[in-house]
Amino acid sequence: MSATRTVGTPTMGAAAVPVARLFARTCAAEWTRLWTAKATWWFLAAAAVTMVGLGTVAGFDAGGDPGSAQGDPAWAAAEFTAMPAQFALLALALLTVTSDYATGGIVPALQWTPRRGVLFAARTVVAAGTATLAGVLFALGASVAGYLAARPVLTLPLDVGADVLGTVAFVFGCGTLLAVGLGFLLRNTAGSLVSVFLLILVLPLLLPQFGYGWLTDVADRLPGTCALFLLVGEPTRPGITETSSVVTMLFWAATALVLGWLRLVREDANR
Amino acid sequence: MIEVRGLTKRYGDVLAVDDLTFDVEPGKVTGFLGPNGAGKSTTMRMMLGLDRPTSGTAVVNGRPFTAYGEPLHEVGALLDAGAVHPGRTGRNHLRVAARSNGIPVNRVDEVIEQVGLGSAARRPIKGYSLGMRQRLGIAAALLGDPRVVLFDEPINGLDLDGVRWIRQLLRRLADEGRTVLVSSHLMSEMQQTADRLVVIGRGRLIADATTKELLAGLGHRQVRVRTTEPGLLVSRLQQQGRPARRVDDHELLVEDSTAVQVGDLAHSWGIPLHHLSDLEQSLEQAFLELTSDSVEFHGAQDTTPQQTQEVAR
Ligand SMILES: Nc1ncnc2c1ncn2[C@@H]1O[C@H](COP(=O)(O)OP(=O)(O)O)[C@@H](O)[C@H]1O
Ligand SMILES: [Mg+2]
Repeated sequence: MSATRTVGTPTMGAAAVPVARLFARTCAAEWTRLWTAKATWWFLAAAAVTMVGLGTVAGFDAGGDPGSAQGDPAWAAAEFTAMPAQFALLALALLTVTSDYATGGIVPALQWTPRRGVLFAARTVVAAGTATLAGVLFALGASVAGYLAARPVLTLPLDVGADVLGTVAFVFGCGTLLAVGLGFLLRNTAGSLVSVFLLILVLPLLLPQFGYGWLTDVADRLPGTCALFLLVGEPTRPGITETSSVVTMLFWAATALVLGWLRLVREDANR
Repeated sequence: MIEVRGLTKRYGDVLAVDDLTFDVEPGKVTGFLGPNGAGKSTTMRMMLGLDRPTSGTAVVNGRPFTAYGEPLHEVGALLDAGAVHPGRTGRNHLRVAARSNGIPVNRVDEVIEQVGLGSAARRPIKGYSLGMRQRLGIAAALLGDPRVVLFDEPINGLDLDGVRWIRQLLRRLADEGRTVLVSSHLMSEMQQTADRLVVIGRGRLIADATTKELLAGLGHRQVRVRTTEPGLLVSRLQQQGRPARRVDDHELLVEDSTAVQVGDLAHSWGIPLHHLSDLEQSLEQAFLELTSDSVEFHGAQDTTPQQTQEVAR
């Protein structure tokens, strides 16, 4: 009785899938992967609470002491809260990559998307893009919260806002791309988290303390130093300019991505 | 159709897969057999483009797996059932797969029903038993209705019902004309399921034949006899060139003979028999004979046949 089904000739799955469609579908899959992981929501919540919370507190501060802050743009809240909050966003981008190695999920991922370049691009765009976009929204939220809490002391000029949010987006974008690249390169959560902390927080603060010129020069070329400079204008050292900071951050992000891509494309999936 | 040509994989000093060449044909269940560490998983990983071969090629329906943009329509595979994010629900895991290959989401619910995951599909995978994870992995493999399926040790962790279900599934997939490759270190299992066997040991091809051929061509037929005159029967049989040996006071084993032959001879000599039977040659024995030289992990002390058996189990 069992009606035997015969298997038809294949049409799909063949090499002929247009790359644009493949990329779009892989991005859709990555997006589902991202929002169905609990950790994503934790990190986003942590970043939101940090930025909006600190922005509100700063707003109340300014409101209670109108003399000194009168007429200042509330957008400053976006910049100084971005510094601590970025760690949650960097961790989010990084774990999106490394947790797949920890759980072995990279094996099914590559079974479903064997073109590794496509998987790399989609995962990078979705992880870094989501973290950056969320960060910019939280920065907006922090500024508005600060403005409301301080009413009517602070202002919210649009042109300044565009400039500030652009800077925040650049810093978060480069940072999360660096994190994603390191994740693909090291494949290990602890190792890449430590590396990110060293590059963004520890070394930029530590190296200049020794007082050797060359160590300070090294610190000036670290992504953490440049992120801090772009966001809050510190530290003021002759070696750090806006251009040098932008170039340095792009360089770090690009280097990490290229190395991470090479490891993904060349090596065995997860050994 | 899967074509493997000169496939070799070296991890440092370990030659995990050594110049394998074989075909896996459509419409059949092909069993991929070998003791633990023989290189089955490594071979399948190379077929799926996960590990780079040191040399050689594996092509699936005419092209390397990595050339497929959306392979689920063509090739479905279950490798390591544990390799999934434990926090995700089974259904969400399958939704990611469906999205990545442009498969409609209602197909996800279909395969969930097909593998019998049911309501568990909406719970996080961390609460799944190994058997449920195997079913989830099989669901993912079947999602795109592929013409080629590869299962690496799918029986592991399944209860009796599950084992029976897998057997029927493999049979049906092959009867539908699909190419089915299923690995196992359990001979008894493959004896029941596989039409064809590719046997490897230490990364090398040991046998590539139908299950029948393997059973028939290997080892030798034996007959078990119980009699009141064992000594007389042994000497008479040996005169006939049939090696026989005493097992105990009343029982003997006759080599290279059938029960009919031994029964007729005993009758002609007037020797009374109380028991007469052919010993079934099992694939288990055949496999042990095939691979006894190539088992990688012998017991710590020495390599008696019993220990080889333990390893292969
Ligand atoms: N990443 C690796 N590094 C070193 N050796 C490995 C690696 N993966 C597998 N091996 C070795 O390759 C051999 C074959 O392993 P595997 O393919 O898992 O065998 P099977 O699946 O038949 O049990 C084993 O000796 C194993 O130890
Ligand atoms: Mg294995």
